[in-house]
Amino acid sequence: MDFAWNPSDEAYRAELREVVADHLPGDWWDNYAPHGPSSPVVMENARGFNAELARRDLVVRHWPRDYGGQDADAWKQIVISEEMWSLGEPRSSLYLGANWAGPAIMKFGTEAQKQKYLRAIAEAKFLWCQGFSEPEAGTDLGNMKTRADPIEDPVKGYGYTVNGSKVWTSYAGRADIMFLLARVGGKGKGGVSCFLVPTDTPGIDIRPIRGVHSEWDFHEVFFTDAFVPADALLGEEGNGWAIVQTIIHYERIGAARYEKAARGLDHLVERLRERGLWEDPVCRAECANAKAMVEAARLLTYLVIDGRAKDRDPGADTYLARYAMIEADHAVANLAAIWLPDLLVDGADGHVRSQFNSAITSGIAAGAAEVQLNMVSGRHLELPRGA
Amino acid sequence: MDLDLSPEQAALRDAIARIVADTGDIPREGGVVPARTWIAAEAMERAFEAGGFFGIALEPGCGAVEAALLVEEAGRSPLALECAGSALIGPLLTGALLPRPVAVARLTDLTRGVRFLDQARTLVVLLDDDVAVLPVEGLEVIALTGPHAYPLGKLAAVPDLAVARRLGHGAVPELQRLWRLALALEAAAAMQATIDFTTEYVKQRQVFSRPVGSFQAVQHRLSIDAVRARGVHWLAMKAAWSGSPLDAALAALHAQRSLTQVVYDGHQFNGALGMTLEHALHYWTFRLRWLGGELGGWSAQAAAAADMVWPNAAT
Repeated sequence: MDFAWNPSDEAYRAELREVVADHLPGDWWDNYAPHGPSSPVVMENARGFNAELARRDLVVRHWPRDYGGQDADAWKQIVISEEMWSLGEPRSSLYLGANWAGPAIMKFGTEAQKQKYLRAIAEAKFLWCQGFSEPEAGTDLGNMKTRADPIEDPVKGYGYTVNGSKVWTSYAGRADIMFLLARVGGKGKGGVSCFLVPTDTPGIDIRPIRGVHSEWDFHEVFFTDAFVPADALLGEEGNGWAIVQTIIHYERIGAARYEKAARGLDHLVERLRERGLWEDPVCRAECANAKAMVEAARLLTYLVIDGRAKDRDPGADTYLARYAMIEADHAVANLAAIWLPDLLVDGADGHVRSQFNSAITSGIAAGAAEVQLNMVSGRHLELPRGA
Repeated sequence: MDLDLSPEQAALRDAIARIVADTGDIPREGGVVPARTWIAAEAMERAFEAGGFFGIALEPGCGAVEAALLVEEAGRSPLALECAGSALIGPLLTGALLPRPVAVARLTDLTRGVRFLDQARTLVVLLDDDVAVLPVEGLEVIALTGPHAYPLGKLAAVPDLAVARRLGHGAVPELQRLWRLALALEAAAAMQATIDFTTEYVKQRQVFSRPVGSFQAVQHRLSIDAVRARGVHWLAMKAAWSGSPLDAALAALHAQRSLTQVVYDGHQFNGALGMTLEHALHYWTFRLRWLGGELGGWSAQAAAAADMVWPNAAT
């Protein structure tokens, strides 16, 4: 048993911090992070920032060399996640490609798809979005209705015509590639298929929705006879649910929310001290309690990564870790709302605002908190299914 | 980073678990659970004594992690066994095995109530600026009863600590660290045992023609309890590994802050049966209730943790 980082992890973290120090805008916390990782300002900034990460081969150290990585262990993925998510994710949705779209392509993709996308992720060429949720299918993805009907187009060849809509789609406004779920077969989970679709495909219309937590984080995406070529299909037709079940373990703990909460908490304590509020023992106790929750979430996440490094089935550990992260995120955000509410005002303190905003999303994004509990109940406690 | 136990540690844990499985269950009386508030782990204690397990922390190549494995595994049993003071706190604080059982207390606890004091041979007392270690023999101990699933005792009067062995000022933070670690390990074990016991019950018990455990209201609360118990376990294991006072404080804090909900849910989901002494639930939940208030309760651990996490911000 060893809880210490190894020297290569520490060196990797140091390299990432160098890039942050040299290339993150000086007014990051004031004018970028509070707007959220899918805001136009962060997404545009990410193009240059990500290019610098790629230039130093920092994006996917944990991937095989054949795909642009360095054959490093799975811990590198959580190191970069801690360093980036704690800042409000300056990579924007590059993380989505690196965390789970890439691994999904590695596992289920054709050789051509691997060649097309994996090195491009390593080289930070694309920003991604995920076309999962629909107006009538959020948590219940198996109920999705967007269709991808096979078609033999005389000019474009064999492919699919996509019709339907997606909603609450983060990053879509400026993303390059959508990881799309659409129904090729019949009803239920068995009809779901995955597609890798450029967002500038004719027939795709993307409209922003103003979110409560950040600018333009959400979008509606409409598909009207959008032609998607056959080689955009990831895996086999109807195999989408299996792909989703695989990538869920990467997605749900891919963002190191505990680290952002930890650094946000340190920042809050500084502000509490400035205000003289730190003298209140209740305030100190609640901050310590939040710290304990953050560290518990961290260790439960490390447990999943440790299993991944050893090529073990994560079982229910992913869901336990995700729920702990949600609790930690809210514990810190609630401190801000209770003790320093004026710092949530526009322009008051971007770091506090950024933590508060991202905590709002943590129980919804990447699967509702209650879904995580369902999974813990079924797979960890092995309780019987409800009626 | 490698969160697996070493092969030697895994073998040790398995050996301890076998002893707990073989000797740690409730001795039935006429086929039923005896209606008591606590039951001594006599056979388990003999087995650990015979195997030298209480001295594991002082064995070559061993230390706090090995002692932690013993404390946590033993704590899964419904039977009351003084283990943390003997196997973890005593050896790592003094470098030697103390005559056991070992009771650990703050000065103010001595005349109010201390776990295992009515059976202890050694008493370790946390003072403001020192740690006192003294034999219990010769002290007037009054046995206490209550809903705590531990043997409890108090002293008729505060003893003359001037004649006790003193470990010095530097032993104060070390005792606090080890006590918090022990508390977190014991709580992690009892929380997990409460969840396991309750989970089995709600799988079997039918209500409205369905298992109690098929209702989402029950499932979600037990799942949150599982998240908390798992978190306490890993915080405690990290604290055992690191030797960090902060890690120990965070583990104890998370345990004491989380255990009240586990106790509540355990009793709620075991229903009226859980209100009876003939149902084994209370052998863990009563222990958790005591652990929740030990060493000043969660606010004391929180205050200590806050001063350690943010030392420059401390008032």
